[in-house]
Amino acid sequence: MDAELYLDNNSFIHRLDPRTKIIIFLLSFVAILLFQNPVWMLPVAFLIFLELYVSKAFKNIYRIRVLLIILSLFSLILWNFFARGQTHWFLFLYKESFLYSIARTLLMVLMISAGVVLISTTRNEELVLGLIKLGVPYRVGFAISTALRLVPTIASSTVTISQAQRSRGLDLDSGNLIARIKKFLPLLVPVFISTIRSTNIFAMALESKGFGARENRTNYLRLKMQKSDYIVLGLVIVFVIASVTLSIMGYGKLTGLKNF
Amino acid sequence: MPEPIITIKDLRFNYRGVKKPALDGIDLEVNKGEFLVIMGPSEAGKSTLASTINSLIPNFFNGKLKGEINVMGRNTREQSVAQMSEIVGMVFQDFEAELFSTNVELEVAFGPENFAEEWDEIKRRIDENLNYVGLDAFRRRPPSTLSGGQKQKLAIASVLALKPKILVMDEPTTDLDPISKMGVFEITHKLCKRDDLTLMIIEHETEEALFADRVALIQEGKIIKIGPTREVLTDVDTMESLGVMPLGIPKFFKRMGASDLPLTPDEGVQAFQAQGWKVDSAAYDKKVSEEKAALAKLTEPLIQCKNLEYSYNNTVKALNGVSMDIFKGDMVAIVGQNGSGKTTLAKHFNGLFMPSAGEVTVNGIPTKDQGVFKLGQKVGYVFQNPDHQIFSETVFEEVAFSPRLRKVSEEEVKVTVTDALEAVGLAGCEEMDPFSLTKSGRQRVAVASILAAKPEILILDEPTTGLDYAEQRSMMNMVRKLNENGSTIIFVTHHMWVVAEYAKRVFVMKDGQLFLQGTTREVFAHAEELQTASLRPPHFVEFSNKLGNTFLYPEEMLECMEGREN
Repeated sequence: MDAELYLDNNSFIHRLDPRTKIIIFLLSFVAILLFQNPVWMLPVAFLIFLELYVSKAFKNIYRIRVLLIILSLFSLILWNFFARGQTHWFLFLYKESFLYSIARTLLMVLMISAGVVLISTTRNEELVLGLIKLGVPYRVGFAISTALRLVPTIASSTVTISQAQRSRGLDLDSGNLIARIKKFLPLLVPVFISTIRSTNIFAMALESKGFGARENRTNYLRLKMQKSDYIVLGLVIVFVIASVTLSIMGYGKLTGLKNF
Repeated sequence: MPEPIITIKDLRFNYRGVKKPALDGIDLEVNKGEFLVIMGPSEAGKSTLASTINSLIPNFFNGKLKGEINVMGRNTREQSVAQMSEIVGMVFQDFEAELFSTNVELEVAFGPENFAEEWDEIKRRIDENLNYVGLDAFRRRPPSTLSGGQKQKLAIASVLALKPKILVMDEPTTDLDPISKMGVFEITHKLCKRDDLTLMIIEHETEEALFADRVALIQEGKIIKIGPTREVLTDVDTMESLGVMPLGIPKFFKRMGASDLPLTPDEGVQAFQAQGWKVDSAAYDKKVSEEKAALAKLTEPLIQCKNLEYSYNNTVKALNGVSMDIFKGDMVAIVGQNGSGKTTLAKHFNGLFMPSAGEVTVNGIPTKDQGVFKLGQKVGYVFQNPDHQIFSETVFEEVAFSPRLRKVSEEEVKVTVTDALEAVGLAGCEEMDPFSLTKSGRQRVAVASILAAKPEILILDEPTTGLDYAEQRSMMNMVRKLNENGSTIIFVTHHMWVVAEYAKRVFVMKDGQLFLQGTTREVFAHAEELQTASLRPPHFVEFSNKLGNTFLYPEEMLECMEGREN
């Protein structure tokens, strides 16, 4: 089963240096967090969707669509409880609070999308190496990549396990919410146990290949910043500086919004 | 003058919280350049012994280690696993979990990187080792897209890149099909010719031990017998009593009363002719016709596939036009290379997969109209790894899961569970914790939990993988008993001797198509075609083929020998 997060597409974004991609990822967070008004978030949104389009990473967004839709719906409703405005619509809904909840939802979707771009276009090893070159200690970088590596492992064992339990008559698609949650126990226990087991072997294999044998280690992958990296980084930095300036000048606020 | 590279004296180890010692006074010297195979039943201490060589014991596993162990002048107790990895390479059974890089090159680079080798040196080692194991063409591929055999070869290359002096492999071929096994073993043979490398391999399958210099038999943490390969492998009785599979050929000759026991098929043919023995062809023909007559009685089709096609993601055709019938009361083996589509096929029988084109019917009704839930009552499916389904705190609860889901009354559940546990030989274990059982015990719980739904048809995916010979036998004897009591059995397996001894009919899959089918005897008579499907009959069958008849196991041939009273 194909559960890899990295998509081997060799797009323009794939070819960028991982350092460039990590910096863009972090900077896009800054740009996303600046504005309260969803309209002002559209330029960042456009850029992130452009990245998704160029790198053909929509496939991974599509994979997590159910999760995204559920989170978005919850977010669209719940944020209204944490904000008030001046133009009252009905019940707890204000025009301002609604716009605010749209912005918060957009923020979440964009952050996830930015992460998806990074992970779909950067090999695990490149990511670790990029992090190290940016000053993160090797072990921390390796821990991050190990966590990412577990995702496909868990996904594929979940598929097998749910097949095994469905063969025994487990029907995950019926019953009310509580009944359904109860039904996940026969899935969770085996997933948990098999993950622990394979992590254990993974740890043994790591050490048996000399993980941490020397103070320093070398890297077979070689990273090189190219012209396109500098151009892209330059453009992104200009964009973020412009956004920060506009935000300091007071643009992009939701007037009349009271959030708590 | 042989020079010991590993010296072990009176080594004892207890896992924490376990009273029974895993190693109970092991004395062993392994010489430089030697190839040692270690065999023994499950829980004999084989893996424990292997783990002491690169200091995973005591570093990784908690417990009490006593005695002396010295590897190339190093006391392993004072070394970390990473330090030992310079001299001891370790290849595990579970190749899925031991590969972690996103492409083949980087997997090999990981070891030398940890030892801070220069870029040019890492590159040189990648080239050298990928070339050595024959994965040169796959450098850029993600390991997850390789076949099982290729994965294990990659695991070997990635360990060799550290230039170890000793290579320890823990059942490296258990999960592989026969030809992938051969591929891995060809590498092993190449390795054992190098005098700079000492090989220590734990192996279940005796045929693979033939190339070793010495074989050690272990039981309950003690070395029962160690000696030159020929001497140990011809000691058929000791092996059988330990629960290690004896080779069919020496077993046959021993039962025939020969004193010099041949090991390989070629040796066997020569020795057979030299003895001037003859097969009683009338007895053989009678056997074959009886077998045909028995199979001809099975006429009621339970599962039928018509031009079955299945594709993952609408791209790769995993099954491409399979048509077959499985009859009530049959015991069928589905075999084929890793990735040939055999598991995909089996998962169509209980509705886990629905055909992309064509049709599968169970009891005459298309699976599409029945669904997994309904089919589950007729077709039970035991997955390969029992740990993928066990979740309850007691054996009883686990087995009761399926009937309870089907809203059976509690009293009936009790009866069903008792019957199911009885059938798998676990009567009286109701209150035990399933996780505390051995692998074979958990496998039995898994089978019982499927039997509790009272299916007519039982599918077993690799029921013997990870079990030792004695456990494999008792598992398959149990399955055969179920068949005799009326269940229709379908099993998917890599173990050819299990097919030879237990299947009535065999379906051979190759590249998503049905490649060969027939009675087990007919299929195994086609050794050459099997080879192209990456399969190989057991040595004993090969030996009898060369003599002109197809016998599936020694006892059968003994019955048909001329001038022998039975």
